[in-house]
Amino acid sequence: MAVHAIWSGTISFSLVAIPVQLVKAVEPGRVSFHLLHSKDYSPLVRKMFCPEEEVIIPPEEIIRGYEIGPGEYIPIKDEELESLSPERSRTIEIVEFIDMQEVDPIYYDHPYYLVPAKGGEKAYRLLVEVMRRTNKAGLAKFVLHEREYLVAVKSTEGALALITLHYHDEILPYEDIEPAEEKIDAEVQSRLKQSIKEMMGDFNPGKYADDRRKKVMDLLKQKEKEQGQVEAPVVEEAEGAGPPDLIAALEESMRKMKKGMRRVKQHR
Amino acid sequence: MAGGTIWKGYIHFADTDVPVKLHTAVKEDRMQFHLLHQRDRVKLHQQMICAYEKVPVSPAEQAKGFELEDGKYILIDPLELEQTEPESSRMIEVHGFVKTGQIDPIFLERVYYLEPDTLSKGYSALVEALKEMKVEGICTWTMRKRSYLGALQASGKLLRLHILRYADEVISVKSLDLQKFPLSEKELQIGSDLINQLTVPFEPQKFENEHQKKLQNLIDKKARGEKIDIPRPRPMKRTAPNKLLQALEASLHKVA
Repeated sequence: MAVHAIWSGTISFSLVAIPVQLVKAVEPGRVSFHLLHSKDYSPLVRKMFCPEEEVIIPPEEIIRGYEIGPGEYIPIKDEELESLSPERSRTIEIVEFIDMQEVDPIYYDHPYYLVPAKGGEKAYRLLVEVMRRTNKAGLAKFVLHEREYLVAVKSTEGALALITLHYHDEILPYEDIEPAEEKIDAEVQSRLKQSIKEMMGDFNPGKYADDRRKKVMDLLKQKEKEQGQVEAPVVEEAEGAGPPDLIAALEESMRKMKKGMRRVKQHR
Repeated sequence: MAGGTIWKGYIHFADTDVPVKLHTAVKEDRMQFHLLHQRDRVKLHQQMICAYEKVPVSPAEQAKGFELEDGKYILIDPLELEQTEPESSRMIEVHGFVKTGQIDPIFLERVYYLEPDTLSKGYSALVEALKEMKVEGICTWTMRKRSYLGALQASGKLLRLHILRYADEVISVKSLDLQKFPLSEKELQIGSDLINQLTVPFEPQKFENEHQKKLQNLIDKKARGEKIDIPRPRPMKRTAPNKLLQALEASLHKVA
C-alpha cells in the first residue's frame, strides 16, 4: 500500500535525529457519497465563493483572516503562522520520556504512524525497539497544520505511533456531576463482581462491526440492479489553466487549507 | 463544569441496569480563522460548484451518488439511506469485560463523562467493582442514528464512556511495509539506558498551548501595524546510520 505522507521532518531525542514521515493510522469506515448535480450527474466540488462578487475565488487569491470585529479581519499569511514555531513545525523533539501506564486515556486525541524516511531506517528501528523494551513513550511538542500539539510517541507492533494529546486545560472538570455519597450494598457488590468475572475476556475489536455499513452496501447493490449507473460528463481541463501538475498543486493546497478550516470548525 | 447532557441511556449487563447521562469531557479552545479574498478582504463562503458547468448548485439541485469507478455513480435517495439507520434504543449493552490497559490507544476516540441519572442505583457499586477488579467493559449502543463501540471505564467516583474505533478503521502496521534492521546489543543497551535517564512522571498540567499565546501576540502585533519577522528555520541534520552508536554514547554522556 502506498502511504500518503501528511508531513515530513525529523524526530529527535537527545543527540539522535531521525528523518521520518507522518502517515495516518486510522480511516473512518463510513461509506462515503459524492454530491452530484441532479441535472447532468457531474460531481460537485467545494470551492470558496465571494458572496459579493458572486465568483469562485482561486486558492492563490485566498488569505486567512482573524476576526477582530464584525466584518473586520486581520489578514495572516501562512509564513507568519509558520514563523511562530519554526523548529516545531519541522522537528518532533522528544524532551522527555514517560511511562505509558501513567497516561489517563482521557488525554488521547488522534493517532498517526511515523515511518522512517531514507537513511533513517536504522535509528528508527532502534527507537522502536528501546521504547518497546523499556515500555516508555516520548513526549514532544509538534506543530501540524498551524496547530501546536502535545504528542506521545510510542512503540506499537514494530512501528512508531504518534498520538496527539489534549492539553490539561481542555479536560473539563466533573465535580459537578459526581454521584452523591451512596452506601454500597455488600450483596449487590458481590453479585456485580460475580457477573463481571463471568464476562471477562480479551479485547477483540474484530468481533464488533458497524452493521450499518453492510446495510448501506446491500442497499447500493440493490439500487444498481434496479436502476443501473449514471455517468458524469467528462470535464475538459485544458482551458488555458496551465500545465496539469500546477492544477494538481493548487488543488492540493486548497484541500489542505480547507482541511485546516474544517478542523477549526469541528473544534469550536 | 462538565459539558451539557448530550444523551441519556442505561448501562445493561446480566441483572444490572444503571441509568446515566452523557456529558462532554473535553473542550478544545482554538483560535478560529476565516478565509478572505485577498484583494478586498471579503469573507468567503464554501459553495458547491458543478465540476462540469462551473456554476453554483443549490441543495435542491443536488443528488447523492456512490462512486463505483471514475465518473460512474449509483444514485441513492436520502430517504432510502435513512432506512439503513440503526433502530433507536437507550441501552448501552456491555458485552464483556477486559483488563484495563489492554486496549491500544489507537482505538480510542472521544470520551464522555457519565452522570448517574436521578434513579441511578448501583452506579457507585459499579464504579467500585470496575476499579477494584481493574477492568473496563466493552459495550455497544446507538446514539443519534449511529452505532457505537465503546469502553466503560471507572475514574475516581465517575464512570466514563470512551468511544472505540471499529477494527477495520485502524490501519495495520503490516501495511506500512517496515523493514527489519539489525541492531547491536550495545546500541540497544545504551538506547534503553538513555531513555530511562530521560524518563520523568507524566505531568500534563505542565504543558501549555504556547502556540495559542504566540498566535494571540502575532495578531495583536499585526493589529498595531507592526512588521512580523520571518525567521529562516534551519533543517536538522539526521544521524547517519554508522554514527548512531556514537550519537547514543554522546547523548548518554550528556544526561548521565
